[in-house]
Amino acid sequence: MEPSASPELLPGTLYLLILRTLRSGPLHGYAIAKRIKEASRDGLAIEDGSLYPALNRMLVKGWLAATWGISENNRKARFYRLTPEGRAQLEKEAGEFDRMVRAIQLVMRTV
Amino acid sequence: MALWGEIARRFGYLGRRSRFERELDDEVRFHIESRADELEQEGVPRAEAILRARREFGSSLRAREETRSAWQFHWFEDLGADLRYAARAFRRSPSFALTAICCLALGIGVNTTIFSVAMEVLFSQPSCRDPRSLAHVSIGGMDWIPMTEYRFIRDAHIFEGIAGINIQRVTQWSDGNNSYKLAATRLTEDFFQVTGVPFAMGRPIQKGEVDVTVLTDGFWRRHLSADPHVLGRKLVLDGRLFTVIGVLPPGHRTLVGFGFMPDLFVPTDPGEVMLYARLPEGTSRQVARARLQSLCQEMDRVYPDANHKWAKDVSVSGVGGLERLLHNGSGFSMMPVAAFFGMLMVVVGLVLLIACANVSSLLLARSFSRSQELAVRFALGGGRGRIVRQLLAESLLLAMCGTAGGLLLDVVLTRLISGMRLPMQWIEFTIQPDWRLLAYSAAVAVTVTLAVGLTPAIRGTRAGIALALKQQDGGAAGRRWSLRNVLVAGQLAVSLVLLSGGLLFIRNLSHATSLNLGFDTTHTLWATFAEQPASCPPARFEKLTKTALDRLTALPGVEAASLARGVPTAMPIWISGSVRADISRHAMRLNYNLNAVGVDYFRTMRIPILRGREFLETDGPGSPPVAIVNENLARLLFGNADPVGHTLLLPDTEEVRIAGVARNSKYSILWEENALAVYRPYAQNRINDAPFVSFLVRASRGPEPLVHAVTKTLAAVDPEAGIEIKTMRDALQPTLLPSRAGAAVFGAMSLLGLALASIGLYGVLLYAVSRRIREIGIRVALGATPARILSMVAGESARLVAVGAAIGLALAVFAVRPLSMFLVPEVRATDPVNFLAVACGLALVAALATVAPTLRALRVDPSVALRHE
Repeated sequence: MEPSASPELLPGTLYLLILRTLRSGPLHGYAIAKRIKEASRDGLAIEDGSLYPALNRMLVKGWLAATWGISENNRKARFYRLTPEGRAQLEKEAGEFDRMVRAIQLVMRTV
Repeated sequence: MALWGEIARRFGYLGRRSRFERELDDEVRFHIESRADELEQEGVPRAEAILRARREFGSSLRAREETRSAWQFHWFEDLGADLRYAARAFRRSPSFALTAICCLALGIGVNTTIFSVAMEVLFSQPSCRDPRSLAHVSIGGMDWIPMTEYRFIRDAHIFEGIAGINIQRVTQWSDGNNSYKLAATRLTEDFFQVTGVPFAMGRPIQKGEVDVTVLTDGFWRRHLSADPHVLGRKLVLDGRLFTVIGVLPPGHRTLVGFGFMPDLFVPTDPGEVMLYARLPEGTSRQVARARLQSLCQEMDRVYPDANHKWAKDVSVSGVGGLERLLHNGSGFSMMPVAAFFGMLMVVVGLVLLIACANVSSLLLARSFSRSQELAVRFALGGGRGRIVRQLLAESLLLAMCGTAGGLLLDVVLTRLISGMRLPMQWIEFTIQPDWRLLAYSAAVAVTVTLAVGLTPAIRGTRAGIALALKQQDGGAAGRRWSLRNVLVAGQLAVSLVLLSGGLLFIRNLSHATSLNLGFDTTHTLWATFAEQPASCPPARFEKLTKTALDRLTALPGVEAASLARGVPTAMPIWISGSVRADISRHAMRLNYNLNAVGVDYFRTMRIPILRGREFLETDGPGSPPVAIVNENLARLLFGNADPVGHTLLLPDTEEVRIAGVARNSKYSILWEENALAVYRPYAQNRINDAPFVSFLVRASRGPEPLVHAVTKTLAAVDPEAGIEIKTMRDALQPTLLPSRAGAAVFGAMSLLGLALASIGLYGVLLYAVSRRIREIGIRVALGATPARILSMVAGESARLVAVGAAIGLALAVFAVRPLSMFLVPEVRATDPVNFLAVACGLALVAALATVAPTLRALRVDPSVALRHE
């Protein structure tokens, strides 16, 4: 029942994924996890236990802001959205990530 | 930038921790429920769905823990935990904690108290509008400016406003029953407009107003019982009616500063004034000074004086803090006061040092006896840094408790001081805790933490696991000079320095009390006799005083009686002006003591006339004017020549012929030297026309029995007169005050230091004995006699005391030298007797501190001791 084979995330990529997910608008924690899982076609599953520490670390850093609101299923939920700092961080990290992936692919193909 | 934002957010978290926990719970619950909803939609039954959602989420506890830790300052929370742990440890050994906290509280309390008082006296800001643009002005090197010159400057309008005050005036107030002497500061009419002093009630004095007065809060409370309807009330001052139009608020600080506080303010002609100017907006003091300088040059052209130029030494200085200290307007240097406080700060610093050394050695003892606990923590993987931090948290807790106790002591003491009107009249302090005190005590607390804790913490953890687990003693065996011994010897040395200083001040006081002032203080009575000027024209006053003097002289038990305008040290009159002797070409600008005295003055006061003659009945208004000068003035103007028969040109008077030379005496303060003095016959010059005179009565035995008779005699002359009678000894109390205060404060501090040091010695010895109980037991079992044990314990004490005393003496010889500026010439700072006495005192106290540990060692029973541990 659990997707046992979901690969471990590369270190540091969790922030990137969360930032990217929030680019289109505010989401609550559960939606973030679900969105990532769906977008990767179940290829990436964030361990639920590590999502909230990550979100909070990002709050401390000032990349995200959080407000309480009502979810689509009519429950009180905490919505996270990007701050300008978060947006800048996303661009920085996305660029770095692209460069790294390309470099790894190059190595994988040629060697 | 980003870092500060982060820190701010973390602090924000600290403030709303419980809400944070609640929200996190809500969030996790939402997550699980959302997942369960989803599973339910897929067809899983609700109960099962929730279970599965929970399982998928994993350990919510761990998630929560990690989430929380995202926000925490780790060191901060660790510190909290360390402090809690330390508090528990102290609760287990309350006597240790209490001793340590009391030592620190005493040390810190005296420290912050002296700090508070020094800040108030030396650096307080006066109560006025915008003190920064207000300036104290002095010209011609003088702080006291005659009214003519004041008006000249005022009318030149180079300042936004300039006002003057004269703080040296006294006024006689009668409330119908009694007559009081009040300090009445005389003002130029625009003083309150220029300075913008805040009022509690009523309004400032306006231009052109006369016969109105503004009261200070203290006078209003003390003498008018805080009458809420005081505005409009009439006061009789020097026989004239004044209407009260305003009251200043409590805590008012005068421009003069240094705690000076008059009773009231009146717009009566001040005679000469200290100047305060409001600088125009945007004008710097330099610019103002340059303008004033050129104005003074003009003034020198308008009022030419060959001997004095106003344009010389022009200064425009600040009215608060350090600047007032350097250029104060009260006419004499405040540097000794500043030096006194500086010295006090050093002294209380030393007391605190002793207290710290005490606590430090207590902690050191504790860390040795806790070596097993520390070893266990090492073994469990505690880093040395972490354990040092834990031990420092203990000393931080001690320092915080000690500082809290010290601040409490500070507040109590300063409140006591604030309420008092010092016997040296017209000094009143308002001391309130402020940010400076808080900052200072925080700095003290941190310093104390490190001073107290760092050494024991590093020492205590140095041994490491192996040694500590074997329960070896880190210090007592083998090493003669453990750190604790060094601390105790140091404490003894410092307290010896303090004691040397303290003893000097106490000897100073006893000398000052018995000091030969140059006139008699033991057999003399001093009576002041004042009339209301309105009801008593000079002719009537003269008749009254003559009658009074005749009757006083005739009283049984009176050896001699005379009258005078001023009274040395109690009510001196100082004149500054040009004086010219007939043998010299130029006049000299001198500051001299002037007194107008009656016929038998010198005989009554027992001041010897060295050359020439006393004043006689024949030196009346019609006869040639004469004067008697003191030795200092004679030597200054005439060198070794005999001045008798020469003439002097005194300011504001005719030429006077010198009739005699009187021996030098003290005129204002005990430590004055080379003061100049001129005496004139009362019949020829009464200095001014105010109906006020002092009678001096010499009793053939003690003066006290005569008080009643003199009072009755004077009251019989005129029941309306204001009469005040004191023995000369009582009248000198204010003069002795600085010595007394110095002796009291310094003596108390040195005793406190000695007490702390002897507690330290006692603690170290007792601890040493308790660690050596086993050893002593073995020695006794092997046949050591009590004498041997005694010499062992007492010998250690003697060694510590000897080393401490030797170091202390060496330090004291240098440390007490600067004190000589506060001592009367008869007490020498380097007197060997002083050091000897102090060393003996120290040895005595040390011997007392040794008694209990020695008894403990003697009572060791070998059969018990060998089973010890």
